[in-house]
Amino acid sequence: MTVDTRRSECEEIVRRLWPYIDGKLPESDRERVTRHLEECVACLSHFDFAKAFLEAVHEACPAEKEDEVLRARVLAALADEGFAG
Amino acid sequence: MAQTTDPSIPFAPNPATDRDRDFAAIALPLLPNIKRFALSLTRNEADADDIVQETFLRAYRYWGTFAAGTDCRRWLVTVCRNAFNDLVQRQAKSVAVEDDELESLATARAHNAAVAAGLGDMYSRLDLGPAIQKAIAQLDPNFRDVVVLSDVEGFSYEQIAEMLGVPLGTVRSRLFRARRQLQESLMVYALDAGFGRPQSVQRPSSMEKQT
Repeated sequence: MTVDTRRSECEEIVRRLWPYIDGKLPESDRERVTRHLEECVACLSHFDFAKAFLEAVHEACPAEKEDEVLRARVLAALADEGFAG
Repeated sequence: MAQTTDPSIPFAPNPATDRDRDFAAIALPLLPNIKRFALSLTRNEADADDIVQETFLRAYRYWGTFAAGTDCRRWLVTVCRNAFNDLVQRQAKSVAVEDDELESLATARAHNAAVAAGLGDMYSRLDLGPAIQKAIAQLDPNFRDVVVLSDVEGFSYEQIAEMLGVPLGTVRSRLFRARRQLQESLMVYALDAGFGRPQSVQRPSSMEKQT
């Protein structure tokens, strides 16, 4: 494989980065990307960077802790509406 | 007329049928009219020619549905209008796919820039939580909704499209653009906070020029 075709294949793979990570690529495309990543460290590093970014975003926004005060307020408002649960 | 079986003439034309003769006599003479109409739609000679070709191909395929004796020009104009609408939809889809792919490429460029600035491991090495929350809060509300629903809440593209009442392609493009903007903001934060290598600092604004 020449350097030029290699670069072109890498670009084709990287163009599919987000849909691949999000699990939205058609099966044939998905297999092509997986095979490429198994043998191309440079492309794999781009995908790992993107995944690390997504993990950081997910971890930066943890679920809200249980808020008893708010829960009580909501239940009180519901009770006014006849809620008896 | 006997059909040729000479293998040296593989594409010998089929004998004209009544259908072909009618099409040639009724539809084809209207080609200039349809070209003029197509040009009014596309305002572009090449696209107009494509539309005209597609119009006559469809007209020929569905010639059986044309009611003889009715206004053929009107029928062809309708076919032409539909062909044009299909072309516009195809082109819009093609541009959207290209945009989405460019956003993926932008992430690779962001990675290159991060590596060059000594920040290739920024997401595992630095506590970016507060910076990420701030960057999300600063996103355009349309982008923020999509990135929070997808990357924080874990909804699928399809679920988000339904929840927000927007097309799937819109969800995808807003999500990818939001991610790029977040990555750029975080890079700026990391550099401003002094986590990068000072001698090799590259701002996100220069990322687009990198290969």
